[in-house]
Amino acid sequence: MTVSRGDIVEAVKHCVVKAGTTFRGDQLQAYRNAIRIENNPNAKWALERILENAYIAEKNALPLCDDTGIPHVFVEIGDEVTLPNDWVTALSDGVIQGLRAMPGRPMAVKGNPIERIEQSKGLFRDPGKVLLAPVIVKPAAKNKLKITVLLLGGGPEIRAKTYRVFHRRSIDVVLDEAASWVTSEVKNLGCTPCVPAMAIGRTHLEASALMLEAMKEGSLNRQNDWEKKVTEMINSTGVGPLGLGGNTTALGTFIKVGPLRASGVRIVSVRPCCCFEPRKATVSLSG
Amino acid sequence: MKKSGKEKGTIKVQTPIGENETERLEIGDRIEIHGIIYCGRDAILPKLVRLIENDTLGTIAINLKGAVIFHTAVSLAGIGPTTSNKVEIERSIPALAKAGVKIHVGKGSLSARTVFELENYNSLFAITPPVSALFSDRILYQRIVAFKEEGMEALYELEVKGLPAIIAIAQGESIF
Repeated sequence: MTVSRGDIVEAVKHCVVKAGTTFRGDQLQAYRNAIRIENNPNAKWALERILENAYIAEKNALPLCDDTGIPHVFVEIGDEVTLPNDWVTALSDGVIQGLRAMPGRPMAVKGNPIERIEQSKGLFRDPGKVLLAPVIVKPAAKNKLKITVLLLGGGPEIRAKTYRVFHRRSIDVVLDEAASWVTSEVKNLGCTPCVPAMAIGRTHLEASALMLEAMKEGSLNRQNDWEKKVTEMINSTGVGPLGLGGNTTALGTFIKVGPLRASGVRIVSVRPCCCFEPRKATVSLSG
Repeated sequence: MKKSGKEKGTIKVQTPIGENETERLEIGDRIEIHGIIYCGRDAILPKLVRLIENDTLGTIAINLKGAVIFHTAVSLAGIGPTTSNKVEIERSIPALAKAGVKIHVGKGSLSARTVFELENYNSLFAITPPVSALFSDRILYQRIVAFKEEGMEALYELEVKGLPAIIAIAQGESIF
């Protein structure tokens, strides 16, 4: 299969807009379920507003959240797919076009490295100046090309971390520590219910990339026993939506385990995704 | 931790808010804010505090007596609460409350010290979900008041009708 530059730009643009403005079916279902079982009136009110917001966003093509996030692109390429020479810049152009179309929040910081850190030269007015994060590339089936865009908001980034866990040859030790981090942070997050994404790998980079992959692959309709266990631990805090109390602090959990090294240590990446996340959309092309 | 589990109606709050009006509001109350509000976050709230401390607040067109400050950026992507426990935002709250701000709107828990300072200045903290699409038809107009160079983080004045929120900290009590 041969893919053109235009195909890639359009696919990425479509994904950026869709991810930023649309709830997926599993999210809609998770919120409807949560509203049905939530006993706390204010918690129920908050969940209803989040669902109402999703209906308005989709109907009027508006961003779900004003923090439209940092675009992360995940590309899966089959061996029989022929890409144009400029496919990497096509990804960037798709992001730029998508952010301008949505529109994304104009939050890119101007200036040299120090000026950017200190935010002393102000911001670009063009939402397209928000550059995509490093691209992750993985193999796919022979003639398949899958492009996924994830938009990562700032609130969860304050509460995320990547660190080492001495596992003592126990999955319980690893997940208890990761879940403990989330439970200690959720009331500060503010935009609960969250969806914790967790990954276990060999290095900090790999664990972070696997955490993003967990966000890409995860579905609130498909939860394994470990994911259910972590969700229950977080819901037992009683923090609830926005911190208002109630049963719904987490809607689900996404866990990904990568290749591991012979060691007493595992590198764990944890990110309590916010009430709209994972904001993601995928386009699949096949020959 | 005191949680807000009771079922009550929505209370209309019109700005500017009278000095004693905050006393009728308690944690867990659902409110709808109407009138002029100000929007600012990390970049400009410390600048606003410096103007207060230097007694130069009169150099910008703002009236903090009875005001509502929403911790949000303002852009074509809409408005929505940012995390209020970020250092520059939370540290600005006592001085702004002392200057007359009656309701600070944002998200996330605040420290025990901030709870104390809010009570000290008869000021409240309210939280709202980050529902930017839902907020879009609650904004009647918007304009930049000051610090235009900060872009989406400039100090904005908005007129809103029915901006929804829930009181999270009031009279020394917190839902967190």
